[in-house]
Amino acid sequence: MIKEKVTIKNSAGLHARPSAQLVKLASKFKSDFYIHSYGYRVNGKSILGVMTLAAESGAELELELEGPDEEEALNAIKEAIENKFGMDEE
Amino acid sequence: MSISFDENTENTIKGRSAAHGISIGPAVVIKSGSKEISPKAISESEIDSHKKKFCSARDLLTQELQKMAVGLEDKSTSEIIEAQQQIIKDPSIQKLVFEIIDEKHLSVDFAVYETFSSFIEQLKESGSELFSQRIIDLEDIRDRYVSKVCDYISELKIPEGAIIIASKISPTELVNYYEQGAAGLVLEKGGITSHAVIIAKSLSIPCLINADKATRRVLSQGTIILDAENGGLILDPTDKVLKEYAEKLKGAKVAIKADNNGCFETKDGHPFKLLANVEFEAELPRVSEKNAQGIGLLRTESLLFGKKLRKEVAEQEAFYTAMLENVEGPVTIRLFDIGGDKNARRPYKEANPFLGWRGIRLLLDEKKLLRSQLKAILTIAGKYPGRVKLLIPMISVVDEIDLIRSEIERMQGALLSSGVSIDENLPIGIMVEVPSVALSAYHFAKKVDFLSIGSNDLTQYTLAVDRGNEKIHRLFQHYHPAVLKLIEMTVRGANKADVNVSVCGELAGDEIGAACLMGFGIRELSMVPNSLPGIHDLLSSRDKKDFEELAKKAVDLPSSEELEEYFREWKDRTGQ
Repeated sequence: MIKEKVTIKNSAGLHARPSAQLVKLASKFKSDFYIHSYGYRVNGKSILGVMTLAAESGAELELELEGPDEEEALNAIKEAIENKFGMDEE
Repeated sequence: MSISFDENTENTIKGRSAAHGISIGPAVVIKSGSKEISPKAISESEIDSHKKKFCSARDLLTQELQKMAVGLEDKSTSEIIEAQQQIIKDPSIQKLVFEIIDEKHLSVDFAVYETFSSFIEQLKESGSELFSQRIIDLEDIRDRYVSKVCDYISELKIPEGAIIIASKISPTELVNYYEQGAAGLVLEKGGITSHAVIIAKSLSIPCLINADKATRRVLSQGTIILDAENGGLILDPTDKVLKEYAEKLKGAKVAIKADNNGCFETKDGHPFKLLANVEFEAELPRVSEKNAQGIGLLRTESLLFGKKLRKEVAEQEAFYTAMLENVEGPVTIRLFDIGGDKNARRPYKEANPFLGWRGIRLLLDEKKLLRSQLKAILTIAGKYPGRVKLLIPMISVVDEIDLIRSEIERMQGALLSSGVSIDENLPIGIMVEVPSVALSAYHFAKKVDFLSIGSNDLTQYTLAVDRGNEKIHRLFQHYHPAVLKLIEMTVRGANKADVNVSVCGELAGDEIGAACLMGFGIRELSMVPNSLPGIHDLLSSRDKKDFEELAKKAVDLPSSEELEEYFREWKDRTGQ
């Protein structure tokens, strides 16, 4: 199992569409994916779970991955968050 | 001999007539109001079938969304649809739904409702503005899910000629039943101006309201008589009574045939216009049948709250096109007037929704929704130049006009630059429904091309009476002299700014109201199509000066009751 802290950068936070992107990406990997935030732990492959985190811009999340492709998954997810899910024009 | 409905008896139920007429037919009792889902216990052996229902609803909804996504070029729309699909397929939804079915032995509709609601609650608690907008989407998905898993509610089939008995009903449900052949409506609750009742009137469905315990006393399938002429319902009618009513029905059909020869003038030759208020395509045949000269108010909220949502620009365009193709004359399209009583799916519970986030106030915050509608309307206006007018609801301060105008101009510019033709002279008008607009009418009128008085809301805001509250329905008097005074002021302000005033609302379709409005100099009245022949008769059989005399007197009277009395005397005197 690996864990790593990240910060949400896109100005609108993890609203429906970025959440969807995150979940879509995470679902491509076999590893289980959980997100910890302010004492909550949600399934990172559940869009509703991710949305209920209500993570706004600047929120700190801890990503937890466990499974055969955990390294690969973590890197892909980190990159997507870094790149603001390629959609920060709004 | 006719039956009296003064008291409830063993086989009659007393009510208030909200839309006149008589119908005889099989009763269909609709138990649930469809919104609130209550927990229902199921047995061990039903567990699997309920879980299966969930899975097939999930697959159906996913397919529906997939169909929607096909051919969409707009990236952000297809992303939204993708997000909706993920919500529908979310593994935690299935997990929680199955837990409720498996462990609590409760029905699938409740399990779905409960699961979504708990997520919605969590999002609400997060208190974030950004997510509160998503709550509306979630509630929408929840409701679609629920109606899929319990198809017996939304796809209830009714026999031709059925009389619907319900505690309350939404306009969309009513139209759905009407299209299946419903011929009468009986409600336990509801005020005379409640939304469903207005639609019933417009569809010419006899309607009875305040029929106490009707859903418990009437049995489905039995033939009943709805007498909305005398305000009652007859259960278990004898053959003799049935025959009597069948005769009455025949007589009534002959009398209804109205003919106004296309001539719209007072007795002394002053022209006026009578137009129709329309909300659903199902109402269109009546518009031409009653010889309306156009649509004076096209409500558009049904695009958002119908069984199928039609938010997309292309779907909206199809709706507006249907209106323009099937009606002659101008069509005044009102922007989404969401809020107040017309939106169950809102992110916050407001303490005073009628004084809250509704109409233009909401639209200016929800730019995406506003722009999609403007795009559709402005495109259609360009295709039918000179026929579309744009109406802005719930204006209360002058600034709002500047803000919406700049949105309109921006969209027109965008359309032009992408090669879409527009109507450069599109008239833009505002609703006069808040007393501030009536009182300062000149300043508002200067900034627009026309004013349209929404008498229902103007009455509600002037008299401080919630029009949906049956406890105080007696206080909702749309021709109260105080309301008429505000209308007179509106006309004066508009005249000074050289701007036309019309009235859409129940007042225009009421004899007393219409006569006074003529007297104030208003020449354009828009009403439910069924009121049109009666109003036409009244307005074309008297002189302009008669109406002026009535209106002058009306604003000086202390109460509606005295106005009613004066009107009766006036009508007799001038009708000779």
